[in-house]
Amino acid sequence: MEFEGPAQSFVDEIIIAENVHKWFGEFEALRGVSLRVKPGEVIVILGPSGSGKSTFIRCLNRLEEHQEGRIIMDGIELSHDIRNIQEVRREVGMVFQQFNLFPHLTVLDNITLAPINVRKWTRDHAEEIAMKWLTRVGIPEQAGKYPGQLSGGQQQRVAIARTLSMQPKILLFDEPTSALDPEMIKEVLDVMRDLAKSGYTILAVTHEMGFAREVADRIIFMDAGKIVEVNTPEEFYNNPKEERTKLFLNQILQH
Amino acid sequence: MTQTPAAPSPEPQAMPLWRRLLGYIFDVRVLGVLGQIGFILLVVFAVRSISSNFADNAQRLGESQFICRDGSFSYRCAYDFMESESGFDISDTMIDHTNTDPYWRTFYVGVLNTLKVAIFGVILTTLLGTVMGVARLSDNWLISKIALWYVELMRNTPLLIQIFFIYFGVILTAPELNEALQPLGLPLFISRRGLNFPSLQFTSSSAIWIAFLVLGIIQIQVTSVILGRREERTGQPSNRLQTGLIAFMLIAGLGWFVSSAVSDSQGLLVTKASRIRELGDMDKLMLQRTGANHLDDLAAFSEEELDAAAFQICALDDSSSETNLTRQLRKMDIPYRIRRYEVPDKAADNYASGKCEMFVASKTILAAERSTLESPSSHLIISVKEAPIVWSLPAREGLNLVGGGRMRPEFVALLLALVLFYGSNLAEIVRAGILAISKGQNEAARALGLTEGQRLQLIVLPQALRVIIPPGIGVALSLAKDTSLGIAIGFPDMYAVSYTTMNQSGRVLQLFVLIMLMYMLISLAFSVLLNWYNEKIKLVER
Repeated sequence: MEFEGPAQSFVDEIIIAENVHKWFGEFEALRGVSLRVKPGEVIVILGPSGSGKSTFIRCLNRLEEHQEGRIIMDGIELSHDIRNIQEVRREVGMVFQQFNLFPHLTVLDNITLAPINVRKWTRDHAEEIAMKWLTRVGIPEQAGKYPGQLSGGQQQRVAIARTLSMQPKILLFDEPTSALDPEMIKEVLDVMRDLAKSGYTILAVTHEMGFAREVADRIIFMDAGKIVEVNTPEEFYNNPKEERTKLFLNQILQH
Repeated sequence: MTQTPAAPSPEPQAMPLWRRLLGYIFDVRVLGVLGQIGFILLVVFAVRSISSNFADNAQRLGESQFICRDGSFSYRCAYDFMESESGFDISDTMIDHTNTDPYWRTFYVGVLNTLKVAIFGVILTTLLGTVMGVARLSDNWLISKIALWYVELMRNTPLLIQIFFIYFGVILTAPELNEALQPLGLPLFISRRGLNFPSLQFTSSSAIWIAFLVLGIIQIQVTSVILGRREERTGQPSNRLQTGLIAFMLIAGLGWFVSSAVSDSQGLLVTKASRIRELGDMDKLMLQRTGANHLDDLAAFSEEELDAAAFQICALDDSSSETNLTRQLRKMDIPYRIRRYEVPDKAADNYASGKCEMFVASKTILAAERSTLESPSSHLIISVKEAPIVWSLPAREGLNLVGGGRMRPEFVALLLALVLFYGSNLAEIVRAGILAISKGQNEAARALGLTEGQRLQLIVLPQALRVIIPPGIGVALSLAKDTSLGIAIGFPDMYAVSYTTMNQSGRVLQLFVLIMLMYMLISLAFSVLLNWYNEKIKLVER
């Protein structure tokens, strides 16, 4: 399986987050997160639950609004300007834990919806591209079915095809395998692995250690709304710098 | 042989009979059957006591009420009285009706009125309820609060009181007809006589144009099939719908001209001495009369001068030829005065005596009337050609309003009250439907770059509909049945008309059976339609 790569980016750093703060009421979920990502980099974000890792990547396409700091995606700053937000969302794809497929539309219509309505492609062109992606994630025969008729792993692969059909440059994965049965995790990870190799800039929140070790360029460890450690996978697992990281790794590697 | 298991409980034989019986009775299967039998007995008893009471009453009434025309007594003649003359007028009718019509026709008028309120009511309620339901969830503080107050106010007061309030408190306090309110200068007049509004008026040539439209629609289908076949054969894509629509518009346009050209049934009777040979001559004649150089100059003339110069026209009440002619005269800015008569002979008399210079009516009437004049050859009938459908705008004419359509105050009040009340019920259902959609659906839509409008239209509403429709059917049915409250303000719906019929004829039993059957039919028709739709949009699951 060989994936076609994303459109070329003309900036040096495709994601720039500077001192990002985010409050939910009184609770400070992000406490000054800064991160710079080059085009094509694959980054895995780890951390205990409640550490703000999902909140952080949800800020990157404005599903959550950050209250302080700056976020610049592919040269476009996320501000209150709705045009900027729409433009960023066109360039940034997101895959969710719960798939969030549209249950009233067929698999094919799920995938062509955004290209037709947002990119203004003709239906024929959108369907052609959709079938190409469905073939690449290995389920072209399911095009006419409804999401409710598919297994979890198949649904997540449709969700990935839906995201890719918008031709994004950046892919955000929010715990894409956490809601899947163990035997279905592999089929989704295989797809993600191939995407990582074909040049997409990827930010993934995941607990899949094998995946992180194999494809990540950098691993980011977050705790209590802050980035605690940034390291290569090799160093991160074998020789972590911070005490907090060691504690976390001990807990998850014990069983 | 298998070994008998060690006796788990006392031998059944060893138990006393009453304990064994108890064992049977508390068996869930036996209990189920017993329950069914008990329920059936209860239903049979209830139906029997009600129906025997009904039969007694029918028997007692029957002797005086179920009378056939030959004087004999039979249940089959229960509805014979409906063929006799009703003797009362109905204020609001969609079809012709006089007090000499039989009860059947009176009843029919009532049914049409009920349907009119129910159908308009359901359509408007759907619109209002959807808008208000979405508005309640708006991020805009003002919009959501307005929607909240609307819902709470309407939902928490009784419908009957609202109908009274709107009728007596809002509509009947509107100004008299001669001082009718005209909001923003639009051709809309609000008065205590109701609402006068612009309407489309069919003319004698409408049928021809409609035939062209039907042809156009058939053409779209045919074009689509033909182009589809060609697409399959050659693989060349073509825009079927666009081609079909363009052809449709060409056909419709052609039909408009053809039907206007052949519409020749309306005419204008003038004397040869008037030197009018066609409608276009009237403006020259007006210029001669007033001595003005241009019709625009007439604006400077005084009321009296215009009155003296205006064309005096005789017409019949409610004639489409009149609206057609006056529309054209107004377009040309030619002043005119109209006298209307109920019967053609009266109008013709006034024309003959010279009270009016011209008489406008259908050509057949004019031809008949011309032959009764002293010297038919000295009069001409000229054609008033007309478009197949014309806008009829209400306009002030003296103390009255003419043209356009009119809704009576009772109809407006009932419709308004029903729509406002059930709109608030539907708004809550719509809100529930939208809230039933998971947050993830909205996030996925936003993450894909859909705009807020697209998200609502493509993701939220289609899914919310599945939740909204089943209780929405209930709202539609309630609305259809509550049209019967119209009797409170004198709207002649099916129930009000039947009530008068009951009072006059004393046939209570027959009429109630008839009314209930009709309401049931209407409700069933509504629910069949909506259930079919509900079935169509159901989610496909594994």
